[in-house]
Parts: sequence; C-alpha cells; structure tokens
Amino acid sequence: MASGDTLLIFTPLHNEPPSANFATLDMRNLHPVLDFDATTNESAVFSAVMPRNYAGTTGVTVYLHYAMSSAVANTVDWDVAFERIGDQQLDIDGDSFAAVNSVDNTTVPGTTGLVDIVNVTFADGADMDSVAVGEGFRLKVTRDAASDDAAGDAELVFVEIKET
Amino acid sequence: MAVLPDEDRAAVWSQFMSDASGDRDTLGAVTKAELRAAINVADDWVDTNASAFNAALPLPSRNELTAKQKARLLVYVVERRWEVT
Repeated sequence: MASGDTLLIFTPLHNEPPSANFATLDMRNLHPVLDFDATTNESAVFSAVMPRNYAGTTGVTVYLHYAMSSAVANTVDWDVAFERIGDQQLDIDGDSFAAVNSVDNTTVPGTTGLVDIVNVTFADGADMDSVAVGEGFRLKVTRDAASDDAAGDAELVFVEIKET
Repeated sequence: MAVLPDEDRAAVWSQFMSDASGDRDTLGAVTKAELRAAINVADDWVDTNASAFNAALPLPSRNELTAKQKARLLVYVVERRWEVT
C-alpha cells in the first residue's frame, strides 16, 4: 500500500457512542446514518487497528461523507481527532484524544439527500496522537454545531481513512 | 404570562430543527441563528396577543376553560389549518 490508498472505512454501524452528546443512529431510505444535532456538539467514535501497510510517513486524510437532513443552504463544520491506544500507551479507563483537526464552513449540498465528501488531513506523529502501525486507536468525529450555521441535523454516512 | 425563558426558547429551537430533520422538511436558506430569531419573535407575538385571543373567545369558554386548555384549542386549530402534526 502507498500514498493515496485506503487504510480503513467506517460506517454508522461501527459507531461506539460516547456516554454523552452522542450522534444518533438513524435510517434514511434504509441507509444507516448517524444524526448530529444542530444545536449541541455531538460525536461519533470508531475503533480500529492501524493497518500494517500504513507507511507512517505522510500521515492520513480522513474523509467524511455526510448529508443534511433538512438544510439546503449555509455551512457545516466538522472536527476530527485521534486517540492512540497502542501497546501499553494508554490507560483506557480514561479518554486521551489529541487536538482536533477541522474542516469548516463547508456549504452544504443544495439537495438534502445528496452526500457531500469533505476531508481533514493529519500529519504523521502527534497530529494523529502518534498512532503507529499495528496500534489500536479511536477516531472521534464531531459536528461543531456551536459554530456552524446550517439548520437541522447533519447525517454521517461513511468515514474513510486514507494514507495521504 | 411573560415570554418564555431563554432556555425554553432554545429548547423550542432545538426541537423544531430536530422535527424538521426527522421529516426531511427543508428549511430553505434560513440559518440556525435566523431560525432562532423567528422563534423569539413567535414567542413575543404570542405574548403580545394572548389577551386579545382570550378576549375573542366566546362565553362561556372564555371563563370556563383554563389557560392551558385555551392554548391547546389554539394549537389544535393551527395544526389543522396547516396540516402540521
């Protein structure tokens, strides 16, 4: 595998909801989606092991595939963060997500059922909480509803992690 | 009765968008902030016109129904007029 290759894919069914302010599993024409509220910042969390074919040099790009429930105008903001679990790196009794990287002010699709794809890049190292090949980690996706202005829920459809 | 407290208006705002999302009811080009402003105005209007609505009700309903019952009556009429459920 090399730069530009897909490392991991998550769907709404992989979500491990946080204990509070969690995105809600829903169905849209039988497509599983995660609904993110318009007024409260809500999150979805996904767990995985970094594939052995990750080169560990160029970092990763996280692609978010989303649709809007009712908005056909204005913008949506997303925050993404990594948490390294690793080999005796994290006491999993507590959370330790690194600082978020954001993709902000994305104008939503003009039709609510259309799925838009945005991306957030992470440099290898501390930017992605130093997750290394073969290490367990979690990825948190948050809608920054406090900052964006599109009315109604945002629906997460897919998440892809690609080697940058 | 005074206007709704800010937290109640915020709850209405959140519920309105949540219900619209559930219905896939597009909200045009209105931002969240603009929608909140509309909710504030709607609450202000209800507060301003509550007395006039009450005065318009015929007797004996005006005297016999409680304030909550009168409000429910208005809600039912509005819902039926615009087919809002």
